[in-house]
This record gives sequence, structure tokens and C-alpha cells, in this order.
Amino acid sequence: MDALPRPKLKSKKPKYSRFTQQELPAWKPILTPGWVIASFVAVAILFIPAGLLCLSASERVVEIIDRYDDECLPDSYSNKGDSFIQSKDTNKTCVRTMKVPKKMTAPVFIYYQLDNFYQNHRRYVKSRSDKQLRDPGFADETRDCKPEDNLHGDENEPIIPCGLVAWSLFNDTYILSKGNKVLDINKKDIAWKSDTEIKFGSDVYPKNFQKGELIGGGELDETKPLSEQEDLIVWMRTAALPNFRKLYGKINSDLEANETITIVIQNNYNTYEFGGEKRIVLSTMSWIGGKNDFFGIAFLTIGGICLFMAINFILLYVCKPRPLGDPSYLSWNRNPSGQ
Amino acid sequence: MAASNRPHPGPSFQSPGSAGPDLSSPTSSKKSDNSQIANLHPQQRPDTLQNSSSQLSISSNSWRANSVSFGSKGVRYGSRGGAESEGFSMSRREINDEDARLVYVNDPLKTNERFEFAGNSIRTGKYSVFTFLPRNLFEQFHRVAYMYFLVIAILNQLPQLAVFGRGASILPLASVLLVTAVKDAYEDWRRHRSDRIENNRMSSVLVNDRFQHKKWKDIQVGEVIKILATETMPCDIVLLSTSDPTGVAYVQTINLDGESNLKTRYAKRETLSRVPEKDMISGLINCEKPNRNIYGFQANMEIDGKRVSLGPSNIVLRGCVLKNTDWAVGVAVYAGRETKAMLNNSGAPSKRSRLETHMNREIILLSSFLVVLCTIVSVCAGVWLRRHRDELDIMPFYRRKDYSEQEVDNYKYYGWGMEIFFSFLMSVIVFQIMIPISLYISMELVRVGQAYFMIRDDKMFDAASNTRFQCRALNINEDLGQIKYVFSDKTGTLTENKMEFQFASVSGVDYSGEKTEYFGEQGGYSIQVEGQVWRPKMKVQVDRELLQLSQTRNDMKSKEIYDFFLALAACNTIVPIVVNTSDPTEKLIDYQGESPDEQALVYAAAAYGFMLIERTSGHIVIDIQGERQRFNVLGMHEFDSDRKRMSVILGYPDSTVKVFVKGADTTMFKVIDKSLNLDVVKATETHLHSYSSIGLRTLVVGMRGLSIPEFDQWQSSYEIASTALMGRAGLLRKVAINLENNLSLLGASAIEDRLQKGVPEAIESLRTANIKVWVLTGDKQETAISIGYSSKLLTSKMTQIIINNNSKTSCKKSLEDALIMSRKLINVTRASDDDASYVALIIDGTSLVYILDTELEEQLFELASKCAVVLCCRVAPLQKAGIVALIKNRTDDMTLAIGDGANDVSMIQMADVGVGLSGQEGRQAVMASDFAMGQFRFLVPLLLVHGHWNYQRMGYMILYNFYRNALFVLVLFWYVLFTGFTLTTAITEWSSVLYSVIYTAIPTIVIGILDKDLSRRSLMTFPQLYGAGQRQESYNAKLFWLTMADTLWQSIVAFFIPLFAYWKSDIDSSSIGDLWTLAVVFMVNIHLAMDVIRWTWISHASIWGSIIATCICVIVIDAVPVLPGYWAIFNLASSGLFWVCLLGILVAAMIPRFIVKMFMQHCKPCDIQIAREAEKFSNRIESTRNGEIEMYPPQR
Repeated sequence: MDALPRPKLKSKKPKYSRFTQQELPAWKPILTPGWVIASFVAVAILFIPAGLLCLSASERVVEIIDRYDDECLPDSYSNKGDSFIQSKDTNKTCVRTMKVPKKMTAPVFIYYQLDNFYQNHRRYVKSRSDKQLRDPGFADETRDCKPEDNLHGDENEPIIPCGLVAWSLFNDTYILSKGNKVLDINKKDIAWKSDTEIKFGSDVYPKNFQKGELIGGGELDETKPLSEQEDLIVWMRTAALPNFRKLYGKINSDLEANETITIVIQNNYNTYEFGGEKRIVLSTMSWIGGKNDFFGIAFLTIGGICLFMAINFILLYVCKPRPLGDPSYLSWNRNPSGQ
Repeated sequence: MAASNRPHPGPSFQSPGSAGPDLSSPTSSKKSDNSQIANLHPQQRPDTLQNSSSQLSISSNSWRANSVSFGSKGVRYGSRGGAESEGFSMSRREINDEDARLVYVNDPLKTNERFEFAGNSIRTGKYSVFTFLPRNLFEQFHRVAYMYFLVIAILNQLPQLAVFGRGASILPLASVLLVTAVKDAYEDWRRHRSDRIENNRMSSVLVNDRFQHKKWKDIQVGEVIKILATETMPCDIVLLSTSDPTGVAYVQTINLDGESNLKTRYAKRETLSRVPEKDMISGLINCEKPNRNIYGFQANMEIDGKRVSLGPSNIVLRGCVLKNTDWAVGVAVYAGRETKAMLNNSGAPSKRSRLETHMNREIILLSSFLVVLCTIVSVCAGVWLRRHRDELDIMPFYRRKDYSEQEVDNYKYYGWGMEIFFSFLMSVIVFQIMIPISLYISMELVRVGQAYFMIRDDKMFDAASNTRFQCRALNINEDLGQIKYVFSDKTGTLTENKMEFQFASVSGVDYSGEKTEYFGEQGGYSIQVEGQVWRPKMKVQVDRELLQLSQTRNDMKSKEIYDFFLALAACNTIVPIVVNTSDPTEKLIDYQGESPDEQALVYAAAAYGFMLIERTSGHIVIDIQGERQRFNVLGMHEFDSDRKRMSVILGYPDSTVKVFVKGADTTMFKVIDKSLNLDVVKATETHLHSYSSIGLRTLVVGMRGLSIPEFDQWQSSYEIASTALMGRAGLLRKVAINLENNLSLLGASAIEDRLQKGVPEAIESLRTANIKVWVLTGDKQETAISIGYSSKLLTSKMTQIIINNNSKTSCKKSLEDALIMSRKLINVTRASDDDASYVALIIDGTSLVYILDTELEEQLFELASKCAVVLCCRVAPLQKAGIVALIKNRTDDMTLAIGDGANDVSMIQMADVGVGLSGQEGRQAVMASDFAMGQFRFLVPLLLVHGHWNYQRMGYMILYNFYRNALFVLVLFWYVLFTGFTLTTAITEWSSVLYSVIYTAIPTIVIGILDKDLSRRSLMTFPQLYGAGQRQESYNAKLFWLTMADTLWQSIVAFFIPLFAYWKSDIDSSSIGDLWTLAVVFMVNIHLAMDVIRWTWISHASIWGSIIATCICVIVIDAVPVLPGYWAIFNLASSGLFWVCLLGILVAAMIPRFIVKMFMQHCKPCDIQIAREAEKFSNRIESTRNGEIEMYPPQR
């Protein structure tokens, strides 16, 4: 009954195309045993050396860490860190020494490390005004900055830079010396270039900063534009995790092994109230950043597992081979009575 | 309403003479199992009070009533026009004031003064310029998904909870709303445009006694309208007069129900002689309230003080086209949106797919995960706040106190309890995509795509009827991949429903000898009319002996043959249409009618020299062996599925009156007077048996003469019945039953209905695919069994269990016996694997009456589930639905019903998936179906290929979407644990929002539409592969939990590798956020890439394109100086650690998945896997199975 469509009727037969018939040319990869083993071996070959490389890179990094928040607290204030910091009369200078275990080649990076400081806390992260930082025209753009938005609640006196982030600017200072020679700490270019050039305005000057009832941290030089306040810029890049380091400066000279470094610390920053910890870190840098054995170990583990799996699969394929695409393995051929 | 306006309560009596031939409607003796259910959507018609009252509630009783008693008791089962099916119980109900509409003919002012009847302008457009925004938004927010979006967005606007910025929080909702609104606006604009065209069409309307052109939109109810040939009806009109002196008008209803044959409509005798311009026509039509039943209409008309009843045959509906009639005049009764055509303009029935139901179960699980995550966060936040409660005031990163004002105050702190509560709400906002709302939108898009490919599949295009596959329901595509039961109608579904007259048995003589050649050179019988040759359009093979006998008119035998063929030619509703041919001396007679059986019989009668050449409502003209004879049609009792017969009362030229009856053998032998000549009856029964055993459809013809008092009595009761307003069908049936008795048997006819192309192969494929095929037919048991054999449903090796009983107890007994037997058979032959272990159950409608809806159902179900094949014969339409329900309610198996006629509608709507065949029998099945196609054999590609693909694609897509969203949420969640539980996200809010909109949306949709696990050829060669869907291999609880475990692992890898890598380093949150964003997006896309089976350029483009798009978005976001994360990505990417980190994450995340997948692939390969390997690596399929199953065999 294959009657031809009546000529007067336009045939509605769908036009043939490889697309509409779902017959577009396609690549249909099937992972044969060979491919499976090859991919495991390939990962192993890639990851084991990579892991070793990471480990050695991490090994080459020399890192000195010194926690000083508790050490720099006079015994008389042992449980009253708060009042020690808040008092104007206490001597906050503190001297620490560190020994260089291995040669540290320049540049040596100086970090301060804060623990238990939630720079990623929602209330904190949101309390800033990026518009204000960039453009003097938006000086009164302090909506999100409460409670550090205006001086004494006066809307005509916006705080620049406003918000909790800027307010809590870290203000411990370090002076490092080797023997009697004071080491030159380069505090230039510690912030991202993009931040100093674009994000922070070169015509935005601090105003009303730290003039309120409660001092949160460091003060700013009102004659310098924000784009030159690199400590602030570094601080304003809020850390991702509650334990973080921030770059303090760089030493552009090598530190030899077994040298003793003396650090004079102005212990201004209050971490005592919430049980935070402060550390100073001197570290060299490798291609994977600072000292971090995690990657090496992780990569070696992955590589090892893959190697192991490759061997297992080889055994599996040898001991229990299955010809690919053999119809006798189809379920209705395996157990014909099962229907 | 005042009492004085009440219509007359009863039918007014008229003298028999004035009644005239009042045919209430063209009959439809379609096929014996066919009773038309005119209610397309019975459950959707609350507006028609009297109709909707009982369609469903009577269903259970009606089968019993139908089959048990054909007496004069109230038989309540579906007749033509569901409106009248209630029987006598309803007959006393008049069209009372509330239910009526009064139309004053040719007086639109009076008609419309009391009621506000709708004008004739139509508005299918939903919106106007002003209402668009509010209405469209209102409609969109009806969907749960959008409400969820909205609630989350509103929550986020509260200052205490503002997790995301304004813009970011509204973006997803806005984008979805915008896309939908644009789509809706475009569709609505198109509707408006077509409305405008419709409304401005012209018709001539009687104004001030002259016909004037008027725009359609200005036509009012009550106006008299004149329609010319080939014009379309502007509204529903009751015919007053036509160009035909007897008041016949032919209309084509193709716009309404798709049936292309002509239907006859009649003007009432009382009005047809009026000339509207001259004689003032005034009258009152009292009709039903507008309803959507296009096959029912009840009204009466008062004209000149007389009361005339109006039925469905007197009304022509909007959208019909006038054909073969020069003009027709009628009065508008329903206009505009109240026309039946417009009321029926509803969408496809909505069903929900099985997969989606299961998916909703898992979504509830995900919701509880969400609640758990949020609870963890809020509890932890509470604990944290409590532990630090003394430090909060001046803690640099909390600063509860605001010292800037004079009064030292808490700042943004609402108390401990509220803070916990707020953290809960905030975490809901942050983790919102845990519930994959976008999945619903993706699924809709994927289904549209899948539907596109199904429609465009040229393997499912039927050249014979020039129809493509149609997807009417867009939300159950994937159900096609899980079908376990197919319920098929026989006639028109397995067979072509192209009837060919084969054999006849006249007066106990069987004329089925060797014959089969066309008569004469020209072929077929022809007559001379005014110098022209008229011949029937279709040629029929004739029996030589019978032909010779029919041409002589002497002996007793030829007298019987004369009556037999006269009955065939007269007892029907066929309308002969004379068609011109290219040869001016030759014309063809085309027999138009609604029933292919009748057409075949009339063509057969014509071939034997009894050519029907004219039919009006009052008479027929039959050319008998070259001699024109005119018979008055004094009355006609339509076919209905209770009587299963029809009758016509003919007044001979010599003024004798005879009634001719034609019907199914079961009902006919009950009314045949067996005392007359028992031998003939016996012989005919034998012949019938032999005909039906070779699969032919049989009809029995009988007649008797009517004496004058008998006729008068019949006529008066017929008159009363046919003018009754309510319960007319029941009354008419009663009249018919009283008339149709003591008939003398004339003979029987056998009509062949050929099997459709490819049916046996298709059934074989379906059975190999472990789909049980049940055939439900109205045919006789023998016919059904023989069709069963020819369609390979039954094989000779099968054991047949036949149940046909007449009482409940015997039914019970045979069911028990059958159960015992089937158990034994299955046990015995378990070892030997061949067809002998298959049991076929054959059960008839009478037995089903005693089984369905009783406690025996359980046993039937048990028996049926043991049988490979079930054949139900002589079943009524609602029984078909009952059988589907038998399976559907007791198992989780998916059912599919396929049918082509109105009698299959109930079954199609009952089954999980309804497939309609757009065949010979009109389009009611198609209208009720979810999918429609041209041929039964397309079921194989539909299920095995498209169903399989759709299921596998959709199952994977749902799991993947769960994974994709949960992964992102978990990464966010881990980070929250390191922020003092304060819902900070390192990932920027824009990335969070774009994640499901841009970063990962497109690949899943593209793969959901395009990926193919196996080629069409493999799927067709190995129908068993369909089992994957039946066993729910692509989506099940185990896979869900596996996926979730994988998600957990991947989220841990994605989060903790960077965490440890950057622990105690100077990383800032924007940079690590970018790293997490990229890691998650890369992972999600590579995860998808690992599962893609068929890589076309589109898959490549979408997956790699998404990754590139993500990178671009991240870069763009980080290039905005006023965002805190300015330039983070560039600084990040310049460090080696970032790249090492990314590589480590991707490899470590994918390893477990890869290991498990490869292990399973090797040790426990699924069928799909093996077939896929076979496709790629060997030619084994071709070599072992070559040509064994050929789906498209050459024509038989």
C-alpha cells in the first residue's frame, strides 16, 4: 500500500538531513583495556615526578616562624592583653631573635601571620566600600561600612577608607637587624600592581580615619593617597581563611645559615581580645609559593594509586579477559531461561 | 426567569403524516465494536450539567447492562453522543430555564436583550498590550519552580538576609521570566494576528430582509446567515434551508475533527421552504447552554406554533466547510467563544512521566539534605556566637557595638536566637540551587528537542496518509523507554481499516467460490444517465455465480438475493457523490460515509447491480439492474453499541413498508425469527464461523415487512421519541428494540480488513523486547484469534486458554482452572525453552463483565501476568479502559495504549502513554492521545529507538543535574565551615548565579537532546536492549546514591586541595574563590565529557564552549574595579601553584569514578555496553543476525 502522496498535497515527509536523523558524524570513544591501562600509567608518570618536584621545591624553601603575641606580653598583663594594648602608657616594644637554619637567598619575604582572625567573616567582608577607595567622587558612598561609616554619625564626615576592614588595619611594625646592621625592609611593591594602579585611587586621601571612639588598628598618613598606602592595600585583600599571612615587606639581601636575626617589634595590634595569634614569618619563595609539602605528598599519592590501579587492571584483564562486543555476554544470551 | 418563559414541558404531538423523514443524525455503524464516545474529555466538562453527571460513574454498571440485557430495560451505555447516554433516568429532565438559551430566529435584538450571549469575535490571544505584563507574570508564577525562585529572591531583599546583591539575586529569576515572556509574547502576537484575520472574514447576514456582507466579528446570536458553497461557517448555526429541496447540506468537518469525508446535515422540513428575504421567519429556538460536545446538540424550535426537535444533524459548527451544496441558510445559535469549536480548543491532556515522579522523590531527599546543611550551619553559628559572646562587642571582624553615635548600640545584631534563625534563612539562600529548579526548565527544553527529532524522523513518516509523527504531550517522552505492556486496538490499528467485501452468504448459500476477477473489460458495473456513464469509484471483486443470480429476477432464490443487496444498498448512511472525471462522458460515484464497512458494502452492492445513486433525508434512489427505483426512507435507527445494529424503514414504490436491519451476529441472531427456516439460520451460522475464522469481519442482514397498524404504531412512538428533548437516545433505542424483532434472515456479508504493513514483524520485535502485547478488539473471538495468528501474536505452539462464560460462577471456575493449568505449564516447560511455555489467554467481553470490578479481577490479573499474549474480544470501549486499569493499578509497569477510533479514547486516556493512529476513523483517538502517528509498525522505532534514547538521556540528565548542583552547594558549604559559619562565599555572587545559568547549563541540555548510547540499527536488531528502560537502569535509587557519594568525594577534593595548598598563605578570598569556581566548572564539564558516548561537533562545542565561556565570565567579573576581587584571576593564573592545583583537583576528583566505571564495564558489562563495543569493534551483529529481523519488509 505504498501509495505515493497525492500530487496536489505537499508531502510532509521530513527533509532528510544527518542532523534531523541524528546521524551526525561522531566520535564514539570506547575505553578498551589498553586505553584504561595507558591512562592510569600516564597519570602515574605525570604525577609521581611532579610530586617529587613539588616536594623538592618545598624542601628548598627556608622558612622561619616566630610567634610573638604571647611572648611580647609582659607578665604583669598576662591575662589582660586587651588593656595592655589599649593603654597608651605601656611599652609595646619587644625584641625577638631568630636563627637562620639554612641560607636564605634574596628576596626574603617577611610576612605577618594571624591565626583565628576571621577576615572572611560575613560582617567583616561586607564592611567596605570599593567605590570610595577608587574615586574621590564617591567619598560618601559608605552605606555598607557601618559602624565605621561616618565620624560621630555625621553624614558630612565620611571616613575614608571606611568600614571594618580598613578600620582593623594591622599595625605591628618590625625592625630586623643582623648583628648590628639594620636590614633594609623594602615595603614597596608588596601589593598587587593592579590594586595600586587602578583599584585604589591616587587622588583619594585618608580622612577621619581612626578618629572615632574605638581605635581598631593602624593609622594612615593623610598626605599620601590610598594608592601609595600599600600596607592598607595588602590588608584590604581580605584573606580567604582564618589563618593567613600577609606580606609585610621584602629583604633584598641573602641571609646566611646560622646568622641570628634580631627583630624589634612594636606590639600594637590587639589579638588578645579574641584569642588570635600573631607570628612573624621569614620565608624564601619557590615556584609553588611558600613551604608546602601537601602537594608533593598528594601528587605522589595520586600517582601511586594510579600505578597500583594500572597493575590491578593489567591483572584483571589477564586473569579474566572479556572479548569486547561479544554478543554471548549479552544478558539474554547468558541466561536464556531468564526471560 | 418568569414562569411564563418556561418552554413547554413535553414534546408536542404531531400527526404522523407531518412528521416526515426526520433523521436525527447520520448513523455510524462503523465497525461492530465501535460505540462512539463523543465526550472527548468527559472529566473536563463541568459546564454541561446534564451530560457530565454520569459519564464516569455509570461506567462500572454499564458493562453489565450492556452485555447482559438487550431487552427494554434501561441500557445505559455509550451511544452516539455522550450527551444522551444517560438513558431514561434523565429523560424527565427538561432543558429548564437555567440550562437553556433562547434564540429568537432573525431577531438578534430580542435574543440578546436578556442574556449577554457572546459576540462572534474570537480572542484566542491571551493578552493585550496592557494586560500582558501582569497576566503573563501571574501565569508564570503558577509554576512551583518560579515561586521558589521568587521566594528566595524576596528573602534576599530583606536587609538582614541580603546574601547576594540586588542584581545578582534577581538575575536568575529575571532571565527565566524574560525568556518565557518573550516566547509567550511571540506566540500571542501570532494568535492575535490570526484572530484578526478570522474576525474580519465576511459572511452574508440577513439585515432588514436583505442579505448583506458583515464581518464575522459583528455576527450576533439570532441572526440569519447565508453560507455559499466552499465557505466556512462563522459560528454554530441551526440550518433553516438549503439549496437542496429536501434540505440536505453536506459539510466537511476537517477543521473540527480532521475527518475529510462529507457529513450530511439537514434543515427541518418546517423551515426549508421559506425564503428568508420574503417570508419573515420568526421562531424560537430553545437549546442547551454552550458545551464542548461536538457530537451532541439538543434543542427544539417553535415555529408557526409547532414544536420541532433539533438534534446534532441540524446544527453546523463553526469551522465546517459547506460542500456540494450551493447555499445554506441558518440561524446563529452559538457565537464566538461559545461555539463548540472554540470550547474544544483545549490543549493536550497533561500527564506526568514516571521518571519525573521518581525524580520528585529524590528532590524531596535533596530538600532534606538542604535542610540538614542549613541546620548544621545555623546550629554551628549559634554555638560560635555563644562561645564568643563576651568578645563580640569590639571583635574587629564582628563589632557588635556601634560607637559612632552618642548612644552605644548593637549594630546589625538581633539577638542570639534571631541570628541563628537568620543564618538558617541565609543558608537557604546561599544553598538554594541544591534543589535543581533549573532542571525543570532544562527538562522542558530537552523534551522539546527530543520531540523535534521524533517528529523529524523520516522512519516514522507515513507516506500513505502523508502524516508525520506528532508529539501532543510534551512531558512524557521518556516514558516511551519503559513500556512493559502495549494494549492495542485491532481494527485500524493492526489492520488497515480499508474494508473489502469478500464473501456473502445469502439464504444459507455460501458464495465464496472461485471468482475474483473484475467484471467486464472496463471493470465494474456502470449505468447510463443522460448519455453519461456512471460507475462506482472503487472496483470490487465479484462472485460470478452470485452475479448471475442477482441479474435474474425470477425464482425464489434471486428474490432473496434481491432483498439482500437492497438491504446492503439501503441500510446505511452512505451519501453518493457524483464526481467528474477527465472524461466528460464518464462520472464516478464516490460513496461518502463515516463507516468504512458501510462503504465496502455499498460498493459491493453497486458491483452486483444495486447502485445507490441518490440519498436525501426523505428518500433514496437505487439503480437496480439499470432500472431506477425510488424508496421513501420513513425512518432510521442509528447504530449504537448496545444494539450493535442499525435499521432503516423503507417505503416501497408500491407503498408496502419494510424494515431492513443490519448488525453484528450476536445481536442479530437474537432478533431473527428462527422458526421461519432453521436450516438457513444454521447454515448461515456455519458460514459466519468459517468467515470469521479466516479473519473476516461479518455482518448479518435481516428484514421484515410491516403491516399498516404496526407501522402506524411505530411511527407515532418514533415521533414522540425523536422530538423528546431529554433522553432522546434512550427513547429511540427503545423504539428500535421494539421494532427490530422477528426478522427473517437475509444473509451475511464478510469483509476483509487487511493487516497493516509490518505488523507481524513489529509485534515480534515488541515481544522480543519483553513488551507484552495485548489486543483488545470488538471483533468476534474467531476473528480475533485468526488475526492473532496472522500478526504472529499467537503461534501454533502456544497453549491457548479461552474464557467465555455467561455467569459469574462459571467465570470464576474457568479462571481457577486456567490458573492451575498455566502454573503447571510454566513449571513443566521451564526447562525447555521454547514457545510451548507461552500461554495465550483469550477472553471475551461478556466474561469481562463478570470479572472487572469484582473480586475476580485479582485472579484475572494473576493469570494474565503469566500469559505471554492476551486477546480480549468483544470488548466495549470502557472495558478497554478497565483492562488497562487492571494492569496499571496493580503493577508499576508502564502501559501504552494504541488505537485509532473513538472507542479507544477511554483506553488511550487511561494508559500511561496513549498513542493515536491517524487512520481512517477520524481523529478522536489522535485528539485524546499523547503521541500520534500513521502506522502501527512505527511503534517499534518509537519505543525501541526514540523511547530508549529519550529515557537514557533524561535519566542521565536528571542525575547529572543533581550532581552538578549538589557539588556546587557542597563546595560552598565546606567554605562556610571556615568562615565562622557566616555564609560568606569565596566564589563571587555573580559566579554563584551564573553557575546554573551560563557555566553549566548548555552542555547538559545539548547532551540530553543529542547523545545516543546506541545506534538505531543496534537497537532495532536487538530489541532486548529495550530492557534497560524497563529495568530502570538509567535512573534508580542506587544510581542516585552512587552519584551523591561521588558528588561528596568530588566536592571534598575540589574544596580541600586548594584549602591545604593555601593554608596559612597570603591567598585572598577572591583568588581562592576563582580557583574553586574554575575547578568546579571544569570538573562538572569533564565529568559530563567522561559520560558522553557520541561526540558530535555540537557536543564538543557545548562542553568546551562552556568551559571557555566560564573563563571569559570569570575574567570579566574580575575586571570590574569596584568589585573586591579585582584582577584576582590574573594574579592567580600567573602563579604555578594555581595550575598544579587545578590539575590535581581534576585528576583526583575523577579517579574513583573512573576506576568504578572501568571495573564495572569490564566485569559486569551491561547490555548497552556490549552492544556499543560490538558496534565499534566488530561486525558480529551483522554476521550473526543478518537479515533475521527486517523491519521494513517488502510489501506482502
